[in-house]
Amino acid sequence: MSAPTSNQNPQSSQSTNRFAQFKLVLLGESAVGKSSIVHRFVKNTFDDMRESTIGAAFLTQTITLPESKTTIKFEIWDTAGQERYKSLAPMYYRNANAALCVYDITSRSSFSKAQDWIKELKKQAPEGIVIALVGNKSDLADSREVEESEVEEYIQQASEDGSSIITSECSAKSGDGVLEIFTSIAKSLPVEEAVGAGTNRNRAGAGNRRAGGVDLGRARRPEQASSGCC
Amino acid sequence: MSFRPLSPPESPTANNSNNHNQSMSRSSESDLSVDTDIIIGHLDPNFGSETRIENPKTPSSHQRNASSYSRNYSLLDFYGLESPSGDRESEPLIDASIMKGLDDLEFKELSHANTIFAKSVVPSPETEASVRENYIQPTVSENIEKILNSPYDRYGFRKSSTLHNITHDHYNEWFSDYSQYALRRKKKWHILMKNNGLHLEQEDSIPTRFPPKSDKVKKLIRQGIPAEWRGSAWFFYAGGHERLNKHIGVYSQIVRDTRDIHNKDTEVIERDLHRTFPDNIYFNSQITSPVNSSSTTLATDTSAAPPETPMIKSLRRVLTAFAHYQPQIGYCQSLNFLAGLLLLFMEEERAFWMLVILTERIIPKVHSANLEGVHTDQGVLMLCIKEYIPQLWAILGKNFEGEALSEDKILTRLPPVTLVTSSWFMSLFVGILPIETTLRVWDILWYESSKTIFRFSLTICKMCLENPDFQASRNNNKGGAEMDQIELFQFLQNFPKTILDPNLLVDNCFKKIGGYGFGSLSQDEINKCREFVSKQRAKLDHKKNNNIAAEMTDEERRTLISSSDGTFADDQSIHDVYGFHRSIMSGVIWNKSISNKMKRSFVKRKTSR
Repeated sequence: MSAPTSNQNPQSSQSTNRFAQFKLVLLGESAVGKSSIVHRFVKNTFDDMRESTIGAAFLTQTITLPESKTTIKFEIWDTAGQERYKSLAPMYYRNANAALCVYDITSRSSFSKAQDWIKELKKQAPEGIVIALVGNKSDLADSREVEESEVEEYIQQASEDGSSIITSECSAKSGDGVLEIFTSIAKSLPVEEAVGAGTNRNRAGAGNRRAGGVDLGRARRPEQASSGCC
Repeated sequence: MSFRPLSPPESPTANNSNNHNQSMSRSSESDLSVDTDIIIGHLDPNFGSETRIENPKTPSSHQRNASSYSRNYSLLDFYGLESPSGDRESEPLIDASIMKGLDDLEFKELSHANTIFAKSVVPSPETEASVRENYIQPTVSENIEKILNSPYDRYGFRKSSTLHNITHDHYNEWFSDYSQYALRRKKKWHILMKNNGLHLEQEDSIPTRFPPKSDKVKKLIRQGIPAEWRGSAWFFYAGGHERLNKHIGVYSQIVRDTRDIHNKDTEVIERDLHRTFPDNIYFNSQITSPVNSSSTTLATDTSAAPPETPMIKSLRRVLTAFAHYQPQIGYCQSLNFLAGLLLLFMEEERAFWMLVILTERIIPKVHSANLEGVHTDQGVLMLCIKEYIPQLWAILGKNFEGEALSEDKILTRLPPVTLVTSSWFMSLFVGILPIETTLRVWDILWYESSKTIFRFSLTICKMCLENPDFQASRNNNKGGAEMDQIELFQFLQNFPKTILDPNLLVDNCFKKIGGYGFGSLSQDEINKCREFVSKQRAKLDHKKNNNIAAEMTDEERRTLISSSDGTFADDQSIHDVYGFHRSIMSGVIWNKSISNKMKRSFVKRKTSR
């Protein structure tokens, strides 16, 4: 069991001198383990029996990127997975800097649902959002339904279409790969811009909410009813 | 008033030719006794007047259309028109017709479900050893001792459950006080019952009839219903008996119709069954066994799924039947918690009808496919916060960019905080407040209806605002004025879990002195606000369509424009809804304070045009 404890309270670490804050949402079919991934990342705990998430849960966690001496604070929005909660989804990913689209490697349907979410994000989410396609429950490789090669194929296709997607497998149960996902997201975020923009904890003003320096381009998105499956 | 519940829609004896001969004979007997009870109940001339309480079914704009099963649900659904089905304790709780076509195993489960609540029925020997007479033990001193020594609370939750948010020792510390309070309340209830001529045969019998609504009863309800009476009292005051009597055999029929059904809803239900109260012994058989969670696999790994408890089977039947009965809703996550909590307190047929009453009458459309009721109620809550807790609105009433939301924007683009508060309405505080506090809110909810949710939401918000930690956190924040919204959300998300003392919450809610006096927020005000918000949102949809459908014909456009006045939330339409100009709501005086404010602000805007 690998325990990603090293990232706990990194703010006490003396080596960092820069700070950036980003909003991250988790999306994916119900019971794929979204909340479990978050709890592994934030609290380093795991429950076999986790209650279904209703609405949303908010958590924060910071990690440090030693190379760039930067502390990244993630505002994590964990969402309910059921299809109908999609009508709330735009509220979650509005202004998001990163999205974790989670599937369960033992469930083919959850993989296609994760792809649907990516499609939806491409259409609706802020431009420049960092997207990660994450296969959870890698400890259940025996009942695997989604092969890594398929994922690679999908990613390949996506990159030909001009979108780069981070992809990885993890196990919230064992902890394998969880921290790595958040680290690679952190590395893909426009940290320089965020830090350069002088973003700090005080975000009273209207503009600096765009922590990642991502231009939301609110006008870009047509006011469209977001209902229905994409 | 003639009401004839004597012939159930489906006679249980009509068609069951060959199956289950022995089983059936037993269930037919018990079925007979139900009918007898109903006859007694309905011929009792005193009963109707005694239970006539208040005009219960306020027609609401949210009311969904009747589904095929609920067609005979009529405007006669008044509290006084039908009676509870007698007060026999041994009333069989599942109609015998349910047994038709079920195999023996299922029959045993169902008959077991009957025996759980029918105290005078001795559980048959073939039922599982773990079967208990009743999930909720009576509030008596010796049971309190037992609970103090057990790792589980009186509802079967682990004391260290997330629903309590405290350690085992803390639980006991709290419970040893609170249980004394509960004992004193129960004495008061006994006196109330006696004064109303509702004699209880034994100290620990559970009444099926309760006194008609009155200030006295309301006061006691707010102080808490004895835990083991809850199911019966909720069902009584929510109008469960009349609903059930009008639909005799319907639940059984649906269960039969849906037993082999597989669809999108059942798929999600299956995923949620084991994620419903996993730290309750009635839902999760594993937690009592020494081989604990460490050796189990993920809940969704069906290959190694833990054995199902009877409760999980009931939950599956109720949720599946409900999804079938209310196709506009189907299954919505959070219904699992509502049904689950109901099932701890009543048998499944009743839990089913309570779910129907809840989603039709109390929180309409909240669980519907587009969650429109969630948006509506969040809009109402935001209006209420703005009105009653302006200091909090100053913090919450902003969009993500930190811009203050203007009056007319609130309803079209809900503030981000509603991402937290919407779950309060979907799960009715289950998992939000500690369990005993939740149950105390439910006591009041079933008696006083939906205003209760708003009153307590406001109370929680105000307690949150006044909390020293919250204040400190705000002051520590640079600039002081702005608290990082996510910090605020986290606080608002975590703070309710700490309200361990139900009396603190209830007193804060209702007390005029030393509390917030939210008891003055009336149901009428809520109804009108809901109507207002949903109309505004409907207009928003029109506008959206207007923007999108550029290819529309002139005819269509004219229709659309005439239906929405062309613009969204224009002054005229707001006046319409508030009744200032065209008095749509003539004769109704409501929400003076909000309406006056709205009036002022719109007059101002008009003149400045």
